Formats: sequence, structure tokens, C-alpha cells
Amino acid sequence: MNVSESLRTGIGVTLSEALGFGGMTTVVGLAIVFGILLILMIVLYLFKLIFYKSPEKMKKEVVTETASASEEDEEELVAVLTAAVAATLQTSANRVRINTYKRVHTDSPVWNRAGRKEAMENKL
Amino acid sequence: MLESFASFLQSTGVAALFQDGVVDAVKIIIMLAVACVLLYLAIVKKFEPLLLLPIAFGMLLTNLPMIKDSSAIMMHPEFFTGKVLEVGKICREGGLLDLLYLGVKLGIYPPLIFLGIGCMTDFGPLIANPKSILLGAAAQFGVFFTFVGALVISALIPSISWGVKEAASIGIIGGADGPTAIYVTKTLAPALLPAIAVAAYSYMALIPIIQPPFMKLFTTKKARSVVMEQLRPVSKTEKIIFPIVVTIVVALVIPDAVSLVGCLMLGNLLKESGVCDRLAKTAQNELMNIITIFLGVTVGATATAEAFLSPATLGIIALGLIAFIFSTIGGLLLGDLMYVLTKGKVNPLIGSAGVSAVPMAARVSQMVGQKENPSNFLLMHAMGPNVAGVIGSAVAAGVFLSMFTGI
Repeated sequence: MNVSESLRTGIGVTLSEALGFGGMTTVVGLAIVFGILLILMIVLYLFKLIFYKSPEKMKKEVVTETASASEEDEEELVAVLTAAVAATLQTSANRVRINTYKRVHTDSPVWNRAGRKEAMENKL
Repeated sequence: MLESFASFLQSTGVAALFQDGVVDAVKIIIMLAVACVLLYLAIVKKFEPLLLLPIAFGMLLTNLPMIKDSSAIMMHPEFFTGKVLEVGKICREGGLLDLLYLGVKLGIYPPLIFLGIGCMTDFGPLIANPKSILLGAAAQFGVFFTFVGALVISALIPSISWGVKEAASIGIIGGADGPTAIYVTKTLAPALLPAIAVAAYSYMALIPIIQPPFMKLFTTKKARSVVMEQLRPVSKTEKIIFPIVVTIVVALVIPDAVSLVGCLMLGNLLKESGVCDRLAKTAQNELMNIITIFLGVTVGATATAEAFLSPATLGIIALGLIAFIFSTIGGLLLGDLMYVLTKGKVNPLIGSAGVSAVPMAARVSQMVGQKENPSNFLLMHAMGPNVAGVIGSAVAAGVFLSMFTGI
């Protein structure tokens, strides 16, 4: 690259020289950076074409039943359930879809369970 | 006995402090104070302590008053200023820090740090959203803007004479990537190394303070609250092929960037391949920690009074801030453009994460986005531009190196 003596040593740089050379370097430099990353972007779009299967095939439909407090709003609850199911199945949350959920009641009455819990906690 | 006592007194640091007169003594004291301030920032304010603490202590070590030609001197910056690196002389006469500094001078440490960073980086979000890679390019705007700025300062202020090499080294601070900045500076303008390293790492720690005002200034409230589509899942095959392809593409276009990008991608492949777990663990833990200590202490040790106490240092610190700000703005403006082009599907806040500084810049995007819309989670979307920024700044470094190394 042709660089004048003053720009090379930094002694006696003029303003027009600084702006002219600086501007040119900016244009060339940014063009190269964008060029390389643009190529990589195209490569990544090719990745998507080659490797990415449609989500319908990937997603397992998991119907889950669980007991949970229903005070939160629906979306938050579904998010929590998705994460819980994904964690239990040791898979990505992307592969889990909650279609329905249902509160499951236990056989024993609440008072019996509370009594058992208290008894257990006293043992600890 | 009195004689030996006197000669001991002459060898102490107190005697050495005044050997060159009061002015030099004051300079030494100022440098020790600067080192202590940096130690304070690292320990109490937690500014990138893993790097700033070794840098500050290196600065302390190198500025301790020493009798001339004493064998106790750990660092001789003058050994490294000549045109030819006299490795033999450094090995015979050099102190501990001289020997360790060879790793900086020969360009060994920064790529090895990149190796570790590669092991810790997940390119998944980038692969899932390819257009976010362009934000990592736009955020290099500050690098080139500051390059021009440094040349203009050199033209306007007679006491500062920065040529293109110095300007490039100062500009690369805007890449917000410490190892890259060190790599470029040690090649092009070694005299500026301490100031540039301190500026780069301090501003990186200040990203949560520097970025938000500009993020609000350059985006609209409506755009900031955009919730982006969930990213697609990325298969293991893609994650394995990605580092290989990037290395080849970068090498074909700009070979000077390969030592950084190649090591980054090697580290990433160690992790993603899943068959080199032991190597990946070492690269990102023990190896990287060892190199970080060596790099920090020796870069700090180049900060002698002559190199550091000059108007140029103040200029570098000011320009470093400008570099960070304009890189942020560059990313945000392309983010805005993407917001318009995709008709509101892209949140422009992820643009500011295009300055590397992984993962701090992405966290800032998340934080600012959540202020606008508390249920919005931008973190993963911002990680795409964030890791693209690492590639982008390494490429920008390669551009400078290929333009200015030989001149």
C-alpha cells in the first residue's frame, strides 16, 4: 500500500491527508469486513437449507399432566411446564410442545397429606 | 563494616528513586500511584479484575525504583524497541518479565487466549440467525472512525505524532476485544501497548455505563420493545462445520486474520466436536488462566514512565471512548435498518451487542430491552451479533495488519 512519508512517521501530517487517507481506509476496511461476514452469512443460509428440518418433524408432542398452582397467567405456566418437561426428558425446550395440561388430584385428602408432611418434617 | 553498610544503602530502592534527580523521582511516584488506582479499580470496583489486576501489578513492578543495570530489574522495555528482536540478549540479560513478554512480542498469547474464548463460545445463536452476523461487521465502524480521528489529532496537535500504524492500533480499541487490540498494537505500535491495553480493558468494563444512553438515543421506544421470534434449533453437525468453514473463508480473503480467527475456531471445534473434552477443558481453564496472568503482567510492565506519562496517553484514553461509542452506534444503525427492512421483526437493540466484549454487550442489550418490555428476552438474540463481533474485530485487525505491517 502506498503511504506517504508523513503518514508513515506521523510527523507533519496535514488535515486533508488525514481525512483523505483515513476516509479511504475506512471505506476499504469496512468493505472487507462486511464482505467476509456477508460470505459467512450466505454460508449460514446454506446451512439452514441443507441441515434444517421442518419443525413439525422435529417436535415431539408431549401431553403432560401435572398439578400446579393456576394463579400465574397461562403463557407463563406453559413456559414453566415446557422447561420442566424438557429438563426431565433431558432435551431442548424447542423439541417440546405443550398441547394441554390438567391438574392431577391425589387420592388422599389435603388434611391427611398435611399431617404426613408434618410428621416427616418432625423426624428431620 | 561501615563500608558494606554504605554500599547496601546505595543499592536500596530509596537511593535508586533519586538517582536521576527529583523530576524522575516524581514520575516514578506518579506511575506507582497510577498502578495503585488501577489496582483499586480492579479490586474494589471490579473492572475486568482478571486482567486489570495483573496489568496494574505489572505496572507497579516495572516502575519500582531500581539502580541502573541492576540484575533485579524484571523488565527492560528498551530490549524490545530495536528493529531486530535480539532474543539471545533477552535470554542472557533479561528479567522474568522480559522473558514472559516474548510471548506478547512474538504474538503467542493473544491467539492462545482466543483458543480459550473459542471453547467458551456458542455460535448457535449466530447460526440460527445468519443476518445477525452483519451487525458484528457494522459495529466495527468505530474502529475505522477512530483511525481517522487519530490521524486528525496527529495533524492538529503538533506534540502528538501518530502515523497510520499508531492510528490503527488506537482504532482497534473500538473492536472491544482485548487480545485483538494487544495483537495489533504489539505489531504496529509497541510503544502504545500499555495505554491501549488499559483503555481497552477499562472501557470494556464500563460497557454497561457507556452503551445504554446511545442505545436509547438511536432507537425508538416502539423498536426497543420488539419481541423477536424464537431462534430455530441448531444441529450438532452445523456447529461442527461452522468453525471449519469460517477458518477457510477468512484465510482465503485475509490471511493476516487467521492466527486469531483460526485459534478461535480451533477452540470452538474442540468444544463442539465433543470428542476432545479434555483438551477443551484445558484450553478454556488452565491454559487460558496461565496465559492471562502472563499477558496481563507483561503488558502492564511495558508501562514505564516515559511510555505512559505523555499527552499521547490522554489522547488514547479519549479516542478509546470515542471508538467504543461509534462502534455501538454503527451496530445500532444497522439494527435500525434491519428493523425497517424486516418490518419490525428485528429489535435494533441487538445491534449494540455487535461490539465483541462477550457476553457483557449482549447482557446490556437484554437489560435495556427488558426495561422497555419486561417480558422480553433478547439475550440469545444478542449473542448472535456478539460472537459475530469477535470475528468482525479479528477481521478488522487483519485488515490493518495486512495494510500497514510492511511499511
